[in-house]
Amino acid sequence: MTCINGVTIAIVLFGIGLLGLIIRRDLVIKLLALGLLNGSTILCLVSLNSLPGGVPPIIRGPSAVLYVDPLPQALVLAAIVINFAILALALVFVMLLVERYHTTDTQRLEHEAEREETS
Amino acid sequence: MIIALLPLGHFLLAGLSLAWERGTRGMMLFSLLLDTTLVGVLFGQFANGQSLSIVFGDWGRELGIELAADRFSLVLSLLVLLLGGAVIAYQWCKRLRPYFYMLLHLLFGSVFALLFARDLFNIYVIMELLTLTSFLLVGYEKRADQIWASLKYLVLASLGMGIYLLGVAIVYYHTGTLNLDLLSAMIFSSGDVPKWVFLASSLLATGVAVKSGIFIFSLWLPAAHATASPAISALLSGLVIKMGVVVLLRLALVFPLSLSLEVLSAVTGLLGIIYAIYTYDLKKMLAFHTLSQIGYVVLGIGIGSEIEIAGSIEYAVGHGLFKGLLFLAAGAAVQATGREDIPGLIARRSRISLASRVGLLVGTMGIMGMPPFAGFCGKSLLSNGAESLVIQTILVLLSIGTVISFAKLIPLFRLERGPSTPWSKTVAYTILGLPMVLFLPLTRLFLPVELWRESFGTIPFVESLLVVGAGLLIHRFLRKHPLRLPKRIFHLEEAILTILVGFFLVFVLVWLG
Repeated sequence: MTCINGVTIAIVLFGIGLLGLIIRRDLVIKLLALGLLNGSTILCLVSLNSLPGGVPPIIRGPSAVLYVDPLPQALVLAAIVINFAILALALVFVMLLVERYHTTDTQRLEHEAEREETS
Repeated sequence: MIIALLPLGHFLLAGLSLAWERGTRGMMLFSLLLDTTLVGVLFGQFANGQSLSIVFGDWGRELGIELAADRFSLVLSLLVLLLGGAVIAYQWCKRLRPYFYMLLHLLFGSVFALLFARDLFNIYVIMELLTLTSFLLVGYEKRADQIWASLKYLVLASLGMGIYLLGVAIVYYHTGTLNLDLLSAMIFSSGDVPKWVFLASSLLATGVAVKSGIFIFSLWLPAAHATASPAISALLSGLVIKMGVVVLLRLALVFPLSLSLEVLSAVTGLLGIIYAIYTYDLKKMLAFHTLSQIGYVVLGIGIGSEIEIAGSIEYAVGHGLFKGLLFLAAGAAVQATGREDIPGLIARRSRISLASRVGLLVGTMGIMGMPPFAGFCGKSLLSNGAESLVIQTILVLLSIGTVISFAKLIPLFRLERGPSTPWSKTVAYTILGLPMVLFLPLTRLFLPVELWRESFGTIPFVESLLVVGAGLLIHRFLRKHPLRLPKRIFHLEEAILTILVGFFLVFVLVWLG
């Protein structure tokens, strides 16, 4: 078994997503990094629970064939839809913010919000 | 059947309220009355010892979705009904878009679903639904500061749920089931705890902690709860945060989280109180107090004995009532005076109506732990069950800190006639205030007689009065020395970093415990 499998790729992607979330100052890129991070958790859930050499869980031939567990694949559908909804709604709110402050830079947004609070 | 009807009915009504615009307000009231009946029937069935559980489809408990009601979920359903009723009454005279009622239906539906949910993935889906609904509710008025606060909340909560999902993946890989009852049987029957449990439980706990208002994880909370409109703050602070705590309780019954939850509760309680003492903005101070009061609830869950869990649930309900009341009354006060800072409010206190002032007073007495109000009951149950000296000290420190920070409000409470209040607000205050005042006799229904006598005797009464007195004295010294606390940790990047640090902390503590 090689060390390049779904789980290691998922961990690397999670790390990249997290790094992007922390070091990039642009809000849109942050949201993309968040999408990447959530995608990696889905990959982790599916590939951790798949069998090496397993067959897709569609019964065609004899029942002695090694089928992959279908439940995680059913679960991640819900997770994918949720992540899509989160990304879409977040981008709508980013649009509203840009209309008001004309920036997507989080440091400046933080600054503007604090200034509004003290005034 | 009824268990499934409560959440699904609200989801159905959420769709309906967009279609039938004029009747949304009445429909909301009607649905809450219906909920009250259904919860009453559930209580009756529970008292008769019937099993209140339903598994959808023919998949069995390993694979199917199980909804089940137990004592915790039923008691917290009462909180949902009271807070829901109060918020609807508070907003009754305002003209709101049907969209608002749709969000409320979604919120109540997912809250009921989460109270009854019994498997890890179902909990994940409902928590995400709660995140989305509360995100939209915080930004409902579309003010720029609200939108920024809710975006921060969404990013952090989504990160938390990502971490939670990793935990779910590990659990399913090793056990092949996600049902919490089955998992608990598997993990405890295997003798010593396998290594993967440490990683999985710290991932799950970190993910949920982001949503349940624990200081190092939920740094989005002060901004989000302070900027949202008062009715929404009351719901978020009183109800949505409790849902995270309920999930923590369910996890703590299965996974070895005891030590980590105890440490986290001390951290969130003390840091929350320090920030609350030096915050002079009324709504922000209430938001910091949500962080601090969650400390009590999580402490009881961490210790995990029967009395402590009963105390936690009681404090969760009590906190929901008085924090809801405080947010509603504070919102009315801020609206009447046009000021949010406490000195400004005190200067214009004659513009605040008498009902709002009484609401603030009752809420303050509740949160301070003044006997015989709601806060006192939870606090004395918790300290009755606590055995070690460290935990007793933490509890006393938390109580004194709460009194110190709320002592700032005392000049507001002069009982003079102010402008009149609309009847709807008075009804809202009564819905929340009355059960709080009658909390002590009401708890008698849920606790064994001996425990009740022991926890609420003369000694706890005197102790709480002493704590309140000590807090008021310390406030007189502290108010001359204002302090500027670091605000940077509430920025988005720093909040993400603290979540990571918190994860490692939880991991180490789970390993040690």
